Amino acid sequence: MWGKIVHWIEVRIGLEELINKHLRQFKTPKGATFWSTLGFVTLIAFILQAVTGIMLLLYYIPHPEHAFKSVQTITNEIPYGWLFRLIHNVGGNIIVAVIIIHMVHVFLRVSYKKPREITWVTGVLMFLLVLLACITGQLLPWHQTGFWQTTVTSTIPSFLPVIGEGISSYMRGGASVSGITLSRFFSFHVVILPVFIVALMILHVLLIRRQGLSTSPAVEPEADASPPEEFRREPHLEGHPCFPHFSVKRSFMVMFYFTVLFFILTFFPNLFLPAEANIQADPLLTPEAIRPAWYFLAPYQLIKTIPNDVMGISLVVIFSLVLLFWPFLDAKDAGRNIRKRPMLLSLGLIVLALWAIFTIWGMYS
Amino acid sequence: MMRYLIVTVAVFVAVFLTGLSLASYRETFEKEFMLSPWSIAKGEISACIQCHTSDSMDSKMQQLVREWRSSWHAKNNVSCHDCHGGAPEDASMSMSHQRGFNGAPEDKEIPAFCGTCHIAIMENYLQSGHGKTFLNTGEGPSCLTCHGSHDIQQASMDIISEQHCSQCHSYERAKDMKQALFMVESKLNTINKDLKRLKVLGIATDRQEKAYFRNHAGFRTLFHSIDVDAVRAKSSDYAQNLEIIESDINESFKQLAFRRNFSAYLFLVFIGLSIMLFLLSKSYEQKNS
Repeated sequence: MWGKIVHWIEVRIGLEELINKHLRQFKTPKGATFWSTLGFVTLIAFILQAVTGIMLLLYYIPHPEHAFKSVQTITNEIPYGWLFRLIHNVGGNIIVAVIIIHMVHVFLRVSYKKPREITWVTGVLMFLLVLLACITGQLLPWHQTGFWQTTVTSTIPSFLPVIGEGISSYMRGGASVSGITLSRFFSFHVVILPVFIVALMILHVLLIRRQGLSTSPAVEPEADASPPEEFRREPHLEGHPCFPHFSVKRSFMVMFYFTVLFFILTFFPNLFLPAEANIQADPLLTPEAIRPAWYFLAPYQLIKTIPNDVMGISLVVIFSLVLLFWPFLDAKDAGRNIRKRPMLLSLGLIVLALWAIFTIWGMYS
Repeated sequence: MMRYLIVTVAVFVAVFLTGLSLASYRETFEKEFMLSPWSIAKGEISACIQCHTSDSMDSKMQQLVREWRSSWHAKNNVSCHDCHGGAPEDASMSMSHQRGFNGAPEDKEIPAFCGTCHIAIMENYLQSGHGKTFLNTGEGPSCLTCHGSHDIQQASMDIISEQHCSQCHSYERAKDMKQALFMVESKLNTINKDLKRLKVLGIATDRQEKAYFRNHAGFRTLFHSIDVDAVRAKSSDYAQNLEIIESDINESFKQLAFRRNFSAYLFLVFIGLSIMLFLLSKSYEQKNS
């Protein structure tokens, strides 16, 4: 029976050739580790967010008078609605962590250098769009935490000279967070941002498939390290077929992702839902402490710490631009082995350490 | 190396030039961001509080605000003007009688003053021995005798105490009533704690909260009748009502336990799959090496 089904498909789409070409003949580099699979894990995490998001969309009502109640209904009355909501909520936070680790790994392997500059740029753009998706998503349940986080987040761009007020006003659709903000954030969260993220994701994957995965500089022969002058896909002659070798690694990391997800759901289901996330938004009642989500704590604390707010927000914008165009700023002739580039390694570690310090500082300030 | 230098210098020049040219922006930021209405607790935007905490007031008047800040009223956003009237948003008119300011009540006005909000409790109190004595003689316990004024705390059974009651009469009768109320009161406390816990855990408790509030408010009016027989008879009715809420709460805790168990089951499934795939991956690596 199974053979017949496979044959039926084979005749119509050439399944065998497809698998051979894209999985067996596509070789992964020698020395590809579990860390190299984080891009794939992000893809699966994004699909999970999309699926759970669609499930939530079936019952969610994007209106200030109904949004909170509809989320409460999903969590408490719809069968297994709590599961979809918690996966979406926790998953939205873990996906940010996975992308950050993925970017740190790519940075430490210096894989962004020629010919992979566009791959890096699309990756960082996706990261920024995912952060925007997180910002827009936190308002949708219309609870106190989301409402006040959005109030603070949408005020921060207004520190930018000239265009700042315009950005804040456009985000809110007025002077303060209201029903218009909710409609606007809803459209961005469920349609506009996902369309751009998917488009960038397709481009990102396409570039990886065309160029091949980058070899770890630690195992790369010195002769191959020089940047190519014309297009060539890395053949990875000493590497292994993507299937089954690398696919098993990927599957393990995806399972590990789910393990972490369900660990949080079991032992800390409200890790990203503080007590005030269970109270309907009240524009007249300010919570005692308003803190952005953990991934925004570092820039938030930076803006709070620097005496001049324009300088604070400018630093955040400049850091984002430097991150986005980093492959074009990194020294052209330097090699890819970060162990032989102490300045680059120090820069990466200092930025990471500062990010961690500001995050912890923001958490307790 | 040169590139690093150029990038670093460009970043610092951009940041400092923008910063220096717009240094005055901080003032605007503080005005619009730090002092905007939503960055201050609701009860604090009040001419009453600003004036009563200023140095121009004597310490006794300043003490009133300190007492209010730690009160149950403050915790529930009941501010000065909610009881005393007036216009807290307008310092010049805040104590204008035209704007509804009624100041501190005379002793005989106290039940009506508190009864503006606590209507049912006032009615029960006025029909009780306490209320009748107070109305007829102008003496005897008013709301303030047991609850205080600005430092009012959440009402509890502890108010019925020898310390309070023996100011006017023996404690025996009050003790009987306290015993009759005890079971319902402890049920109410347990339900209140459970509802708060459920809410933090993400369970919608609106329906139970409304039922709790209804019973809680009704039960509080019972306190004020100081009729021991009536209290005994009605306490069992309240106990039955509260059992219905308790059973709802228990269902919610069972639902939470199910969620935890279901997540734990999936957690174990994925641990198993992870271990299996990790070993498979290692075996491929060994084969290839």
